[in-house]
Amino acid sequence: MLLLVGLLLVFGSTRSGGPLTQQDRIDSIAKNLACPTCSGESVYVSRAAAAESIRTEVARQVGSGIRSDDEIITFIEQRFGGQVLLVPRATGLDALVWALPAAALVISASFLVSVFARWNRNKPKAPTTQDEKLVNRALAQEATKQDD
Amino acid sequence: MFAIAGISGTIGRALLLVGFVGAVFGVFAAVTGARNNDPRVIRLVPRFAMLAFASAVGAFAAMEFAMITRDFSLAYVQKVGSWSTPALYNFAAVWSALEGSLLMWVLILAGYTVAVSFWIRKRMQEILAAWAMAVMLAVLAFFFLVSFLPANPFALGAKGVLDGPGPNPLLQNHILVLFHPPILYLGFVGVTVPFAFAIAALITGRVGEGWLLATRRWSLFAWGFLTFGIALGSWWSYEVLGWGGVWGWDPVENASLLPWITGTAYLHSVLVQERRGMLRVWNISLLVATFSLTILGTFLTRSGVLNSVHAFSESSIGIWFLSFFAVVLVGSVFLIGWRGDRLRSPGIIDSPFSREAAFLANNVLFALFAFIVLLGTVFPLIVEVLQDRQIAIGSPFFDRLTVPIGISLLTLMAIAPLLPWRKASLETLGARLFWPAWCGIAALVASLILGAYGLAPLLTFTLGGVSSGAALRQVVLATRRQGWRGLVGRANGGMIVHLGVILIAVALGASNSYSKSQELTLVTGVPVTFANHSFELVDVVEVRDDRSVSVKALVIVDGDKIYEPAITKYTRVGINVGTPAVKTSLASDIYLTLEPPVRQDSDTARIKVFIKPMIIWLWIGTGLMALGTLLAAFPGRRRRRLTDPTSAPADRTRALDLISEKSS
Repeated sequence: MLLLVGLLLVFGSTRSGGPLTQQDRIDSIAKNLACPTCSGESVYVSRAAAAESIRTEVARQVGSGIRSDDEIITFIEQRFGGQVLLVPRATGLDALVWALPAAALVISASFLVSVFARWNRNKPKAPTTQDEKLVNRALAQEATKQDD
Repeated sequence: MFAIAGISGTIGRALLLVGFVGAVFGVFAAVTGARNNDPRVIRLVPRFAMLAFASAVGAFAAMEFAMITRDFSLAYVQKVGSWSTPALYNFAAVWSALEGSLLMWVLILAGYTVAVSFWIRKRMQEILAAWAMAVMLAVLAFFFLVSFLPANPFALGAKGVLDGPGPNPLLQNHILVLFHPPILYLGFVGVTVPFAFAIAALITGRVGEGWLLATRRWSLFAWGFLTFGIALGSWWSYEVLGWGGVWGWDPVENASLLPWITGTAYLHSVLVQERRGMLRVWNISLLVATFSLTILGTFLTRSGVLNSVHAFSESSIGIWFLSFFAVVLVGSVFLIGWRGDRLRSPGIIDSPFSREAAFLANNVLFALFAFIVLLGTVFPLIVEVLQDRQIAIGSPFFDRLTVPIGISLLTLMAIAPLLPWRKASLETLGARLFWPAWCGIAALVASLILGAYGLAPLLTFTLGGVSSGAALRQVVLATRRQGWRGLVGRANGGMIVHLGVILIAVALGASNSYSKSQELTLVTGVPVTFANHSFELVDVVEVRDDRSVSVKALVIVDGDKIYEPAITKYTRVGINVGTPAVKTSLASDIYLTLEPPVRQDSDTARIKVFIKPMIIWLWIGTGLMALGTLLAAFPGRRRRRLTDPTSAPADRTRALDLISEKSS
């Protein structure tokens, strides 16, 4: 069954959803660019004038078909400065924003493993005779209750 | 007219001061009463709470009065009031900017404080209850003080102002502004109640499970409102902002999501403590985190610090919230450390294949989730402080990191409800997974037939199938056993909430992955086809009223009805606001926006069309979550004392004593 699911997933994830249209390219570029006049919104989201003009520029570049998506982003970045990038680059201080979550993942995973290992070591051994007595007594009480 | 003008300012300022004094006296009464064990003093606490609440109601009413009578002697009314704002939006204008929304915070917090003091009136003599009231009143005093000093909504404005710009245009063109902020605040502020009890438990050293059970419904209530408020916010964003999406990962949204994440983690891990007496430190930490994140979120979004670090000094509000945040955090950490010995629990989790282990994994994932959202939100600040350069972090970052977490959480949702407490054998798990697994396969096959592609959405659909199977299994088994009572209670109501979450996850997966959009230039009378839908421009018209000029494009979609995407220019503030038009169906939404530049009476219009699948299921899922929350809160158990232990960890020596006593 797992194999079947795996095969279906591989089939589904490798088949394509049709060719990218120009609009798809414009939108995906716009989603990676920050609107310079609004806090934290992308050019794709924002309705501000500055975002509108960047969208128009992106559409023009995509329409002319010369530059690739990355080149268009670099072009816009050079024209408007570093704060138009919505995805921090993985260099210098900015790399921390990627590294810290990865570190947090490793730390929390190893925490889980170690805590389970510790619990496994400290697991109570086989029940003592007194434990068994307690259980038997409880069972006996239960039985008499049901008889009533 | 001018005789009235100004009077609401004087009354409002006076009431804020009275409220502050009442709250401070309440704190003193609660603390001294609890320390000296003096019932007469403790009896004063509800009265002071009542006084503070009455002042808050009065102050809020005074603000509404000032807004409704357009009392332009107040700076706040000058900022957000206008003669041309329609009555309802004018009513909501009270909470459309910083000072007014803090006033609403004060009102809601005072309401919670009185509600708690009423709820607990018979047990007020219990030291834990008195301390909890002290904490609540202390928080209330802080908010009164902020509202009185740095963010006073009743501050006088410049003289001679006769009219103002009105609220932000985005806050006066959809009815949701009346509901979204108050509901969100009911959630935000409601977190204070379980937080206060957690702190009281630490102070009194009664850290058993009593306080936790007692506040269970309060936590659920706050969480429910937070969920509902966030969903209303996304709905508003979808209906008003005109970019065709529901969630943009902007700092304000993140600030509301953060306490929701830690709160959700708490609602799960608290079950482990109730059942097994474990994770005490963790649960208290989660409550502290949730409460302090509401404060941090307010700091981040209200101080202007996110626009630029340098905006920080422009309003003094920032330093107040930052200091309060620091006090809460340091104080709580100190208390937890101080009570550390009492908090330690002897229990262990026996097996990674158990309900409690699944909850632990859930908590680790939620903690990671919160960490990522917090990091992405504050990282631009850190960079600006350290390197004096501005960067922005937006949805591509959050999407990339949170989608895997969402899928992992869905995986847990598929397995965890099937796991028994303590320990499961693989056979048990396998047997219980049988039907859910088939649901998952059915979902996968169905989505492949419908043309779905891409790993992340397909995983979402498959796991959504498995986890809805797991949730339904629980509900079906319970209703078979208990009839309608199988639908209520925490476990069953919780599963209904899960079904809502699954619907939302699937709808988000589909709408994020398979949206299509296109800009169309329409000419009147010439239908254009895009993605099997036809669009025909009928006319472009202009509508004027005394505050705005709208240009509307009348578009017939699929030869059926006329839709009217518009751009409205609010003449007073000179801001253009687009209003999308949406054709909704169960399968997908057709979302139209009018793109600038627009000219009236022209025979062409530029329209952007989004085809967004499954959007309506987001709102249906939200409804299901709300319903499930109500069901989870429903059944009434016998009331217990705050300090009663529910799952006293097995104390070995005492148990042995009992045995020897009995056998002798």
